[in-house]
Amino acid sequence: MNFGWLLPILILVPGLLGVACLFLRSARAVLRLCAIGTLGVAAIAGAVTLHVFRFVPLFAGRSWFMLDALSAYHLAVMMMVFSISALYGVIYFRDEVARGTFTDKQARRYGGLWFGSLAAMVLVLVSNNLGIMWVGIEATTLLTAFLICIHPTAAALEAMWKYLLMCSVGVAVAFMGTLLIAASAQQTSLHGSDALLWTALRDAVHQLDPALLKAGFIFLVIGYGTKAGLAPMHNWLPDAHSQAPSPVSAVFSGFLLNAALYCILRFLPLVEAATGNTGWGRGILIALGLLSIVLAAMFILFQRDIKRLLAYSSVEHVGLIALGVGLGGFGAVAALFHMLSHSLAKTVSFASAGMLGQSYGTHDLRHFQGIVRRVPVWGTSLVIGLLVLIGIAPFSIFLSEFFILKAALSQRAYWTACLLLVGLCVVFISVLRSAIAMAWESDTGVQASHRFKLSHGLLVFIPLAVLLVLGVWMPESFVQILIRASELLGGTP
Amino acid sequence: MTLLQDTLLVALILTSFGMLVSGRLGAYIRMGALQGVMIGLLPLVVGRATPTLHVVFVAAAMIGLKGLVFPYLLFRALRESDTKREMNPFVGHVPSVFFGILALLGSFWMDARLGFPIHSSAALVIPVAFTTIMIGLFLIVTRRTALSQVIGFLVLENGIYAFGLAIVYEVPILLELGVLMDVFVAVFVMGIAIYHINREFDHIDIDRLNTLRG
Amino acid sequence: MNTFFVSLLPVLLGLVLAPLLLGVIHRTKAVFAGRHGSPLLQAYSDLAKLLRKGAVYSRTTTWVFRAAPVIGLASVVSVMVLLPITGNSAPLSFVGDLIVFIYVLGLMRFFTVVAALDTGSSFEGMGASREVHFSALAEPAIVVGLVALASATGFLSLSGIFSAMSPTTWVVAGPALALVLAALFIVFLAENSRIPIDDPNTHLELTMIHEVMILDYSGPDLALVLYAAALKLWVLGALIVNVALSPLGLNGIRGVGLFVAGMLVLAVIVGCVESMMARSSFLKVPRLLVTAIALSGIAFMLIVRFTA
Repeated sequence: MNFGWLLPILILVPGLLGVACLFLRSARAVLRLCAIGTLGVAAIAGAVTLHVFRFVPLFAGRSWFMLDALSAYHLAVMMMVFSISALYGVIYFRDEVARGTFTDKQARRYGGLWFGSLAAMVLVLVSNNLGIMWVGIEATTLLTAFLICIHPTAAALEAMWKYLLMCSVGVAVAFMGTLLIAASAQQTSLHGSDALLWTALRDAVHQLDPALLKAGFIFLVIGYGTKAGLAPMHNWLPDAHSQAPSPVSAVFSGFLLNAALYCILRFLPLVEAATGNTGWGRGILIALGLLSIVLAAMFILFQRDIKRLLAYSSVEHVGLIALGVGLGGFGAVAALFHMLSHSLAKTVSFASAGMLGQSYGTHDLRHFQGIVRRVPVWGTSLVIGLLVLIGIAPFSIFLSEFFILKAALSQRAYWTACLLLVGLCVVFISVLRSAIAMAWESDTGVQASHRFKLSHGLLVFIPLAVLLVLGVWMPESFVQILIRASELLGGTP
Repeated sequence: MTLLQDTLLVALILTSFGMLVSGRLGAYIRMGALQGVMIGLLPLVVGRATPTLHVVFVAAAMIGLKGLVFPYLLFRALRESDTKREMNPFVGHVPSVFFGILALLGSFWMDARLGFPIHSSAALVIPVAFTTIMIGLFLIVTRRTALSQVIGFLVLENGIYAFGLAIVYEVPILLELGVLMDVFVAVFVMGIAIYHINREFDHIDIDRLNTLRG
Repeated sequence: MNTFFVSLLPVLLGLVLAPLLLGVIHRTKAVFAGRHGSPLLQAYSDLAKLLRKGAVYSRTTTWVFRAAPVIGLASVVSVMVLLPITGNSAPLSFVGDLIVFIYVLGLMRFFTVVAALDTGSSFEGMGASREVHFSALAEPAIVVGLVALASATGFLSLSGIFSAMSPTTWVVAGPALALVLAALFIVFLAENSRIPIDDPNTHLELTMIHEVMILDYSGPDLALVLYAAALKLWVLGALIVNVALSPLGLNGIRGVGLFVAGMLVLAVIVGCVESMMARSSFLKVPRLLVTAIALSGIAFMLIVRFTA
């Protein structure tokens, strides 16, 4: 039986839910619908994903829509991030609703944009047509831009303007890359809009014009790379992440970046195959990945704002993923694994940082003292989240970083390995320093201001527990999924 | 036919240069509108055969959007702001024009080197498109007011559209839809954004949006 | 004898008719302003009047000041020898004469500037500084414009260029030629100190360029300077008219007739421009001139890429 018809449904449902949000009366209802609706979409997505993993890729709408192992894996990660963030949104905005700083009107806009960007990101993942994929990225840019300035403060507007301008230019550049890719297929037997179907291009890859394909790939890497936050196109990222409300920051960091990176990953095998697997396209990814890691490390060193610190950490991790994919083979498997770990850990960290920010009234690290005692749940989860992010041993990020390093060494890319290690060490030391200060530096007389709530604890500690388990024991089926997804990136694992 | 096409393309370059040399935001908008109309007319002229109904429809939509709707929205944003001029661009008007000349030179050079597989009747389109793209980026980077950055983005998009027209004329419907949406989006959204920024600070000088650093 | 006369005709025509252009410009402006205006031949009477008077020289000036008007007139007259008239070759033409054309005019400007500095007046020095500033921007525009014409036709002499320009040249490189025309017009306005670059009618403002440099001349010297300026207007105007009339492909006496008509139309256009525009501020003049450079630069690149 063909379940292809579920793919359009997957886009349609969040779209309709978004419209529904606009007609709700109160802010609480909107937030509740966000949580329930997102979980509902996640359920459909989960079913589709399982189907893809167990059987064959799904196709729909004249092959314009497709879900294969790679996109299904991304879809699964995305739905985890969105589900956690949506549930967290209910908690995060509760105070603001009570204080009246989150009005019903703002809530309606928030709900609409939330589901809108969910739909747009699903569109990115399920489209086989590279033009439609580009439309999806464009749509996410627009919708999420307004999510940044739900509270229109001066700083939020500045962040939104930077985000909008830089990413619009990036998306325009990516469009030019897409045009060049389509142009490279003109000498082949592909006709009309088939020239933009990923599967069709993959089958005809040896007839494509390599020069045009290469030119197109450069534009795509710059364009989508801007959106993915790869250095040196990352300037918008810390501003947008730090100014957005925390549930939105979590989605930005946890999946928006990956969605853009996913687009680059789609083009990588085409370029590699057409240029005879000489590693030309991979080289670009490795270079940008390393640059991101090193640049981010330098900014993290002097960072005073917790949300900006987390944002630069996202630049670092996106760089790590790009580096792993660039190394190929075993590195690509590790990169995909790393993506899952990073998304979960980053979502939890942003959630905790947001709650601490509300509690302390600031995001300045120097004011965060004794957080474990004052805000037990969120303080503990932030500290653990930070430790996970810098790759403390039993957690899964340690494992994936180790694998990426190993992939680099096994390819005798010693300089790459060296730079990677330096970057990781700098991040490790500087983040650990602030984490220790936050957790234990005593601010005498600190009283717990938050009561312990089981629901809050479950929300943050379940993902962290998953990361812990994956760090020590990986189920065989999960490894198989990773390998199948990484096979689509070309090369041999 | 090529005389008409060449005239259109040269006029296109001239509008871009006009933006480099002009300092009034009103003039920017007007020249952007003019350029939008020309870009809209381009598919009717560059085509190898007589244009189909579909092409005419797209051209009409493009002209309506870029020639009427956007200028209207932008003028409205301009009226609501108290900035009427691009006072001190990061790069002055005279050096800007020299940049434009260099961009044109570079575009011709790149076009000759890259050798795109296009029909020879459209040979001028590619360098003109490159120049327009570069000037658009230049405007975004060097101009201070939010409004002129939006115009710069429009110029950038016009260039990309012309480029797409030259190299993938055969895959039209999707690309045109994409561009239309892109444009729609860019200005509509940015127009609202300007409105916000404007209301918040009583000016649209993005140079003063510099509190977020590091 | 007859052919010699015919070949000198362009020069004689210019020498006789140049001051008339000033009259036409003034009359046009007067009509726009609703005045009756001075007679068309006013410039001739002015020159005659000045020639009858004696000259006064400041004690600080040297021979440079006295030589400048003569050198200026000599330069512009020798340039006229190189200048063809629609369909008729110039009395003298050789490969590369367009460079001579531009730089002999440059010589004239050089002496005007040096003479202005020679007076020792800061007022005139200011004018000289502005003149040099603006002409440094106007010169690339005209050089590139003429080179563009040269590469469109494949000739390196003015007579060659204008005899080779035909309707087909316009079909092949029409937009580029139109750009050259526009660039030449801006240079024409700048070099002849017309609005919007300079205002030839103001004499006591701090903002003028050409008029302030010749402030110390009187009598026959002033007559020479004014006559040379009128000839310069004619010479640069002739370039524009030649380009503009080239698609008609005329020659012989009909060419000459149409050329004179074209010059008069140009004068009317200048009058209209001066009536409708305000003189732009000094900060904006460079923008205008750079636009001219851009126009001729674009034209040059288009021609080189697509017709050569």
